[in-house]
Amino acid sequence: MRKFLVPFLIVLLVAYALFAAFVWKAMRQPPEAFARVMARMPGPVVFLLLPFETLWTHARAGNLQAGDPAPDFSLMKLDKSETVQLSSLTARQPVVLVFGSYT
Amino acid sequence: MAFLAVYILEAHPSDVWQMESNIKDKVVLASPKDYEERSLVAGACVRKLGIKFPAVIDGFENSTEKAYTGWPDRIYLIDAKGRVAYKSRPGPFGFRPQELRSALEHLQETKSSQLMHEENPLASFSATERQR
Repeated sequence: MRKFLVPFLIVLLVAYALFAAFVWKAMRQPPEAFARVMARMPGPVVFLLLPFETLWTHARAGNLQAGDPAPDFSLMKLDKSETVQLSSLTARQPVVLVFGSYT
Repeated sequence: MAFLAVYILEAHPSDVWQMESNIKDKVVLASPKDYEERSLVAGACVRKLGIKFPAVIDGFENSTEKAYTGWPDRIYLIDAKGRVAYKSRPGPFGFRPQELRSALEHLQETKSSQLMHEENPLASFSATERQR
């Protein structure tokens, strides 16, 4: 039995590494693609087996760093009263941006 | 100081990745098919959550979300020179209002020390130079 232990552990390690690589790749996809992958995962297996938060933080680091110019945008307000241009706001004061959705 | 909510693509639409917790909270929505639908969902969100500060809606091509990697949620502080002063780690784990608070306090401190130097140009001179 013992002579199978090392190969077995190696197989387990490789399987784990492949699983981690698969999840990492999914995390680097656009949100809709990532969500579809996660929806198919059985239960909390991803969270239990992998350092999910660490992977996620790095996968979603993005291109912006503190000190970089904030990408400008011009978006319509919810009440449709006007469009808001970020650069017009930041010309007068600091701005907090809160990204999110209902679900 | 301005607060702006940027409403982006859904985190857990029912047709893609439904969350149990959302079912319990009765927030079960399919992915909006277009900008108008996203607007409606955004309206419901802002009302239900009682968000008082202004909200804008990301274009349906999600260009703002892409530029800021904002999904599923994230906080940024942009200073009055248009630079990123604080960028939270990605949500949900990284969404920490306490961190924003520290960042705001830090921004405030940097601003006041800058003002002090501007009001008193001699503040940065050494004592010996001032005596001359």
